[in-house]
Amino acid sequence: MLRYIGIRFSGALFSIVGVACLVFLLIHLIPGDPVEIMLGESAKAADKIALTQKLGLDKSMSEQFVAYVKGVVTLDLGKSFYKNKPIVDLILERYPATIILALVSLVIALLIALPLGAIAATRKNTLADHGAMTFSLLGVSIPNFWMGQIMIIIFALGLGWFPVSGYSGFSSIVLPAITLGTALSAILARMVRSTLLEVLNEDYIRTARAKGLSESKVIYVHALRNALLPIITLVGLQLGTLLAGAVITEKVFSWPGIGLLAVEAIQKRDYPLVQACVLVISITYVGVNVFTDIVYAVIDPRIRRGSRD
Amino acid sequence: MRIVLLLLFSMFICSCDETQRDAVVFGLDNMPNNLDPRHATDAVSYRINRLIYSSIVDFDESARFVPGIASWQLLSPTQYRFTINGEHIFHNGDRLTSEDIKATYDSVLDEKQKSPHRSSVALIDEIKVIDSNTVDFILKYADPFFPGYLIIGILPKQLIDNNFDFTANPVGSGAFRYSGWGGVESLTLERIKDGQKFDFIRVVAPEVRAMKLIRGEIDILQNGLMPELVRYLRKQDNVKVEDFSGTDFAYIGFNMQDETLSNLKIRQAIAYSIDRDAILKYLFGGEEKKATAFFPADHWLGNHELIPYEYSPQKAQKILAGLGYSKQNPLLLSYKTSTNSFRLRVAAILQQQMKESWINIDIQSYDWGTFYGDIKKGNFQMYSLKWVGIKSPDIFEYVFHSKSVPRDESSKEKGNNGANRGRYNNPEVDRLIEKAKHESGLEESIAIYRKIEQLVFEDLPYVPLWYEGNFFATSNRISGYYLSPGGNFDGLINVQRKE
Repeated sequence: MLRYIGIRFSGALFSIVGVACLVFLLIHLIPGDPVEIMLGESAKAADKIALTQKLGLDKSMSEQFVAYVKGVVTLDLGKSFYKNKPIVDLILERYPATIILALVSLVIALLIALPLGAIAATRKNTLADHGAMTFSLLGVSIPNFWMGQIMIIIFALGLGWFPVSGYSGFSSIVLPAITLGTALSAILARMVRSTLLEVLNEDYIRTARAKGLSESKVIYVHALRNALLPIITLVGLQLGTLLAGAVITEKVFSWPGIGLLAVEAIQKRDYPLVQACVLVISITYVGVNVFTDIVYAVIDPRIRRGSRD
Repeated sequence: MRIVLLLLFSMFICSCDETQRDAVVFGLDNMPNNLDPRHATDAVSYRINRLIYSSIVDFDESARFVPGIASWQLLSPTQYRFTINGEHIFHNGDRLTSEDIKATYDSVLDEKQKSPHRSSVALIDEIKVIDSNTVDFILKYADPFFPGYLIIGILPKQLIDNNFDFTANPVGSGAFRYSGWGGVESLTLERIKDGQKFDFIRVVAPEVRAMKLIRGEIDILQNGLMPELVRYLRKQDNVKVEDFSGTDFAYIGFNMQDETLSNLKIRQAIAYSIDRDAILKYLFGGEEKKATAFFPADHWLGNHELIPYEYSPQKAQKILAGLGYSKQNPLLLSYKTSTNSFRLRVAAILQQQMKESWINIDIQSYDWGTFYGDIKKGNFQMYSLKWVGIKSPDIFEYVFHSKSVPRDESSKEKGNNGANRGRYNNPEVDRLIEKAKHESGLEESIAIYRKIEQLVFEDLPYVPLWYEGNFFATSNRISGYYLSPGGNFDGLINVQRKE
């Protein structure tokens, strides 16, 4: 098991180093000058040169790269060009918001998807199945920017239950989490349905029923547990994506997450901030994937054994 | 499903009423990036810094510079004497003196500070303190517009000397005191005269900003909304909307080195093909006015004699027919713009209008960095942008002087770096710009600038479109807000919460 984890981690480290180098190159290659964007239309030439020097952009690409690598190794990610604040502080400010939103959305998604998928699978081709799958189709099809605004109009403006947007108190997470959660639950519910349908035809399910277990025990304990592997894969991927920041939802609900920070940094060509955001996002994504792999191995002994062969 | 409903219900129970608050909330689309006026470059920072700090010179409603906390006397064309009016106290309790003025500008001029405002005051040769209320600015050369450059907020000398971090903890002598950052995207200021708190919060999506105002989570919004959202707000009972004419100058820029567009007749045909009245009436619907030059006619540098091009597809067709174009063989041009949805909408309308005049434009939309990079390199035929917050006439040199062509970033050559992106070159305009710069009399130089405006208008390197208006919307919780010239937030000084 330890060897398996070790192999996964070394692969992950390699991916992160690759991403870190690639992002440095790409962000410097795309057109657009941060100094121009910061100073705007009417800035004077001398002022632009001064700012270029201040930001260290007058140095060669290789010098900038060495400084960047040094910074990453010593965990000093530098200062944001635009916000003039240490990047570590900016990320620490934003990341809790991203984590909270990701976890609450995922819980909502699971709470909706598991029963919905189970109902659809056990009552295949009935009204309940069609209803559940239509809901799921809607969830996949409705874009978050539209869903978010509709939620605001109904629940914040109409009923006045929740604030329109912001990051203040528990009530403010409800609408963004439901917006994200319903979209995720739609895909998950379809996955739960299809994997459950496969498992439900297995012999051990017939045995469980023959033992006289209740239908809910058969479904939720025996069938669902065996159907978990593909579902965990999907949940892992979704969690990774959520932790990378849900830009659209963050934008609609003014949620101060890392996704919006990264996108705005790209727009403003805030090189160090883009590099740091992508680094953090890739570490998270790779981390979640490694964690998912480990969970596989815990759940399915075949995977563990496979690594020993 | 029951679990989901239970969760929703518990969340609802937990949600508290957030409309019970004492602070006045101002909604912004961007937070200020730097609260140190020596280093702030963005418009929001400038507006917030105006509230925290006081400057020695200010601008009146027609954008003419007037005394701020100090009035001036011209001792000679290169020596200005500033005398502080009344008593001004910094938020740390110290009295503002001429030493603080000198220290602030010395610090901006200090190369080590690398202030992005250094070059605008680089003509200062020396600053001499005469007494605690009087300070002399001695210039390297005469410039009648000099007082207009002294708009940087004054900082306490003692803190400057100690390398105090004004970005993290601003200390000024303005009407508002810095109270703290309340969370990630929220800044709180306190009005000194009555202790009223003001929260500046960022709401990224404009639709959501409007909805927060309707719901009462925001009290004031200023600019930054699409015209249809402003119309929507106008219909709300609990929201008050007011429009004002503005000075942000929107234009279409041409590449004067382009084979087709170097022909004045083609540029004139394009000017005739735009129905600005229709765009202003149906798209904007506010207080926007047609433009002829950088400065509106009622501005002190404005030129009343310039008459905007009329909308006349017939005239455009006639010109183009003379050049061999026809409905079947239209003029083909590319038009670059950003990805901003409103600018794209304007582009689509222009495309439709120009089609009537046998001009087919291909709209090319890029993200801001790429778009701006292309414009600087002269990699365009036509583009549209607007100039924001232009106050002084040095803009003419920056934009229309032949030596102000933007420097190519890819080359190492450190040339002049202006904004003459269309590569406009008129030796007479260059000559007049140089002449106006060295003219010591204010009225004489204004007359020269008006002449430059006229020449540029005739040459059409730009098609002037309109001056974009300003608006603000307030909730019914507050009263007394007004729109200040240039879109500043000075109206907050007198705003009152209704009990």
